Amino acid sequence: MNTLLSLGDNLQTLWEFTGFANAELGHIIMILVGLLFIFLAIKFEFEPLLLIPIGFGILVGNIPFNEIANLKVGIYEEGSVLNILYQGVIEGWYPPLIFLGIGAMTDFSALIANPKLILIGAACQFGIFGAYIIALRLGFEPNQAGAIGIIGGADGPTAIFLSSRLAPNLMGAIAVSAYSYMALIPIIQPPFMRLLTTKKERVIRMKAPRMVSQTEKIMFPIVGLLLTAFLVPSGLPLLGMLFFGNLLKESGVTRRLAETARGPLIDIVTILLGLTVGASTQATTFLTAQSVKVFIIGALSFIIATVAGILFVKFFNLFLKKGNKINPLIGNAGVSAVPHSARMSQVVGLEYDPGNYLLMHAMGPNVAGVIGSAVAAGIMLGFLG
Amino acid sequence: MAQTLEKTLQIAGIGIIGVFVFMTLFYLLILAIDKIFPYKEEANAKENSVKESTQNKTQT
Repeated sequence: MNTLLSLGDNLQTLWEFTGFANAELGHIIMILVGLLFIFLAIKFEFEPLLLIPIGFGILVGNIPFNEIANLKVGIYEEGSVLNILYQGVIEGWYPPLIFLGIGAMTDFSALIANPKLILIGAACQFGIFGAYIIALRLGFEPNQAGAIGIIGGADGPTAIFLSSRLAPNLMGAIAVSAYSYMALIPIIQPPFMRLLTTKKERVIRMKAPRMVSQTEKIMFPIVGLLLTAFLVPSGLPLLGMLFFGNLLKESGVTRRLAETARGPLIDIVTILLGLTVGASTQATTFLTAQSVKVFIIGALSFIIATVAGILFVKFFNLFLKKGNKINPLIGNAGVSAVPHSARMSQVVGLEYDPGNYLLMHAMGPNVAGVIGSAVAAGIMLGFLG
Repeated sequence: MAQTLEKTLQIAGIGIIGVFVFMTLFYLLILAIDKIFPYKEEANAKENSVKESTQNKTQT
């Protein structure tokens, strides 16, 4: 009899350790969200390099385990493997390393050849500050509003970096929102690109960009670094690494370092970042009214950024001579989702003039957007950090 | 409330102006780089040949 009772107790304990005994509706919802991310990545190839690690991370983070059993498997349990890897997000190590890789893979020639396009990258940052105002009006604290606003920069690592500094409790929602909307750029941007431009503007053909010397390419990251250091030092962790990576690429004598930065290093950090950010979206902290608001503001910030870029080009064209006009369809490319927003300029442009290739022109504001959003993040950090 | 709104607008205003100032200075600096180190086909060809010979030396 005693043996049977003991067996019953043991089975009861075993049951209490299983996910079935601890699962709540929130866990199930988040597991479905994770599966959706994985499905979108595999079926439609929406940002697969990010959505698969994030989606899998969401599954890992929402395993309904027994929290009081001290299994050390949860991301918020001190000493667990996930918790140790998560320090790179909380302490902000991963985003600068990703920027190093981005710098090592980015060719700034389009921007150097036509530097006025850099201003489009600045105009699109209206999305960040517009979203900041909206978030404050919706009742968020100033530091939270700053972190939410950065979604409008359309730059995942920048969003994670700033939210880890200003609003760690909202980081999961901000990161997932930023990456989701980046994947949705082909749906968000084209309607506004068509709405805000005339048929005549859409067929503007821009001059072919001039050749850029190697010396100019080498000078670019050095000048950029010095400008950042003197003007927005709080942006150095991101921009400093971006320009460092670019110097590795352009110097021509550090090919191995550049290849490591844009290859294995960025891949490893992307895996760790995606997995841990995904795992940080535990149902209890993620499924809140605040997260819903973050998603709504995130969508608005992308729209504001797109509209601001297009309207800025139209305004800028008023001051440019006839042969130098900019096609406003590249205005959206100031939203720094590289290269998706630049690709949208090309796709929409080709619809109206099959011989007008806008991609090379759109890459200028696109890479300028990366710089612009990191500068905006630095300014936000300076004010609210 | 009005004070909060004023502060919000101030930060947003200074922020966007800050971004434009940074980007405008960067724009001017890129123009300056172009003026100081203009693209020359011959110079570029020379640069490339120097690089190639250096790489060959390294390989040997």
